[in-house]
Amino acid sequence: MAIKEYLIKRILALIPLGLGVTFLVFAAMNFVPGDPVRIFLGIEGTEELAQQIRQDLGLDRPFFVRYFSWLGQLLQGDLGYSLLTGIPVSQEIARRFMVTMQLALGGVLFSVVLALPLGIASAVRQNRSSDFVIRIFALIGVSLPNFAVAVLLILFFSLVFNWHPPIGFVHLWHEPLIALQILILPVIALGTSMAGSVSRMTRSAMLEVLRQDYIRTARSKGLPGRLVIYRHALKNALIPVLTLVGLQLGYLLGGAVIIEQIFSLPGLGRLLLTGIHNRDYPVVMGCVLTIAVFFALVNMVVDILYTFIDPRIKYQ
Amino acid sequence: MFSMKSLVRSTGIFIAMLMLLMTMGVEAQADENVLVVAKGTEAEGFDPHTVPAHSSIQIYNRVYDALLGISPEGDIQPELAKDWEIIDDTTYRFELREGVKFHNGREMTSADVKYSFERMVDPDLGSLAKTYFEMVEKVETPDDYTVIFHLEEPFADFLINVAHTYAKIVPQEVVEEEGDLMDVAVGTGAFKLTEWVPDNYTLLEANEDYYIEGLPRVDALRFLIMEDESAQIAAVRTGQVHITDLSPEGAQILRGRPGLEVVEYPSFDYTYWAFNVTEEPFDDPLVRKAMSYAIDREVIADIAFDGFADITGPVPPSQELWAVDISEYPSYQHNPDRARELLAEAGYGDGLEISITASPAYAYMVDTAVVIQEQLRGIGVDAEIDMVEWGAYIDAWINRDHMSMVGLNGGGLTPERALYFFFHTTGGANVWGFSDPEFDDLVERGRVEVDPDARYEIYAEAQKLLVNELAPNLFLNSPYSFYVIAEGVEGFEPTSYKSEGFFKHVTIDN
Repeated sequence: MAIKEYLIKRILALIPLGLGVTFLVFAAMNFVPGDPVRIFLGIEGTEELAQQIRQDLGLDRPFFVRYFSWLGQLLQGDLGYSLLTGIPVSQEIARRFMVTMQLALGGVLFSVVLALPLGIASAVRQNRSSDFVIRIFALIGVSLPNFAVAVLLILFFSLVFNWHPPIGFVHLWHEPLIALQILILPVIALGTSMAGSVSRMTRSAMLEVLRQDYIRTARSKGLPGRLVIYRHALKNALIPVLTLVGLQLGYLLGGAVIIEQIFSLPGLGRLLLTGIHNRDYPVVMGCVLTIAVFFALVNMVVDILYTFIDPRIKYQ
Repeated sequence: MFSMKSLVRSTGIFIAMLMLLMTMGVEAQADENVLVVAKGTEAEGFDPHTVPAHSSIQIYNRVYDALLGISPEGDIQPELAKDWEIIDDTTYRFELREGVKFHNGREMTSADVKYSFERMVDPDLGSLAKTYFEMVEKVETPDDYTVIFHLEEPFADFLINVAHTYAKIVPQEVVEEEGDLMDVAVGTGAFKLTEWVPDNYTLLEANEDYYIEGLPRVDALRFLIMEDESAQIAAVRTGQVHITDLSPEGAQILRGRPGLEVVEYPSFDYTYWAFNVTEEPFDDPLVRKAMSYAIDREVIADIAFDGFADITGPVPPSQELWAVDISEYPSYQHNPDRARELLAEAGYGDGLEISITASPAYAYMVDTAVVIQEQLRGIGVDAEIDMVEWGAYIDAWINRDHMSMVGLNGGGLTPERALYFFFHTTGGANVWGFSDPEFDDLVERGRVEVDPDARYEIYAEAQKLLVNELAPNLFLNSPYSFYVIAEGVEGFEPTSYKSEGFFKHVTIDN
């Protein structure tokens, strides 16, 4: 099966990707100023004590020795321990990954549900008043950075309604109502700019397709407007939109770093940021590797989805 | 289809659903007797003997007890020891409470005290408390409820150190089972560590076997991690949090709001402008003194702390028993002419270029540096501010990789820390390269002088010498700390000595 071979090739390609990413990040963490032991101790503790802790943690070993020992552990499926708390990194990532996923998928869902109909409407009613309104909103959405949206939302809801999302994260499958209340503002903040670009992409892809001959044929043989748009036009306009959504999901993970910080969500992004502040390199490495692999996998899934949307696409 | 009207209608429906979701009943833990406290930073683990982070102390202080404690007024008071006796300058006898249980149900005895103190000075552990108890020669336990400490030499702060946050009594078997005490906490304290979900919350439940009858008065403490101050303020305003600490700006916003009480107290911390005294130009005490005349500490307090800070010497005024009045420090007068004279005398009459390292991690640090920069312009000194990330800042601090820097020191209960730790030639945090034999001699005498009056005289002399002659640092402002407390919460009364109040005495009246 061609698709199987293709998949294997893609998965194998993850190995150099992982090596490159981890080496770059490890080097960066090593060469930026700042010493995890000193950050931990602050002004307490003598230099002897700091030296002793460095030795215990193996931080006194040369750069390459540390990198390859980290890599060796990784091959055994071990991401190591946080320098600061001693908690296994894999355990911490597993716990936080689901939080970030709920946030990122929520953002995708929000933006697609909002932007797809708007993009279609905008294309179908090209140059009419609703098209202009949608395009202006899409432009605002694309232009506003997500942290600005986040702060505006918090201010708006707390000043106007005296409402703030509940604090203390719960999973969607434990307490759906509270989880929704916790997630709704971060999801909107995260999804807004993606909604803007998805709606713009949908509009232009739809406009392209709507000009095609087969649409004219469909209309002239008397098919109802709705059917033409959804069955004939939308399906063909989806490929660029899907590509965009796949790419954007990666950016959403990046955006989650800031959004989790603002909304106090215990996600992967927050873990990454704290790890960087503390120069806690096993934590940083684990987070970056997880995000990179996830990003690559999502794009692989998107590539495979193409074949379902357009049977003409085949992988050899 | 897709008309303007339907666009407006669906937007309307979306907003209506959003508002419905907001109003759907999530009552903020109102029916439970659980005190909810906002916490800015996540703990870094709970081992009282090795973790110095305030974010960790907030938790392990509730879970563990020491032999002695500190009262809100700064006096030593009984904790696990119900009584103590100073037999002579180097011998201290403690009588333990009977029937005190660890959270695992086992009784705490003198063996645990001996074990804990031995653990603290064990060189392999790398405990911060090691320097606090290095002078202990041996610990004797004649029976289950008596502990006798023999010191190698007199040490004036011994009892204070025994009451220190780090000097907690821990159970040996838990250390041995777990390897360390980073993510478990089994103490004798009023609260038990029940659940820790990093970056989310920490739950401490009341210890029903606590050795003081009737305490704690709440069923549980719930610490919620909220890094952003605007989130903390919103949470306390909407009733989701009972207590949170605040910046001066946050306190201004919430002061006078119905249903909230803002409390403030002077802290033991102070800000400083420190010099690298091993390099030009700040190796010359005249230049350092000129800087002191050039800056206006009052203006710095107004801008960096909204006026909520005292002007301070090396020992902050909140340590009433020890601080020298700032009127004893002539160079605290803002006097640019005198500053210029001193600079000229030091050979910098034509002006001077310097750099000040600061970190944007703390707003007051940036403000302080900027005000200093502005004030130095008045005497022809051109200061450049070197803004660095927190990790790099710590690096610059520890490696003396700077010309001068602004920062914050945390004080102890006696000047031992403020003077010896920061400025003695061998002091653990003397990173300035500062060394003066006369000063060293004074603080060495201070640490072994057990008579409080004689000790005060020594430390007063050391403070004056430090500020008036040597000026390794310029001591600037000692800021106030702020908490906001929701209506109905009683018994949380922070003071300089007991900055987190007594959670075990707090009651909630919903």
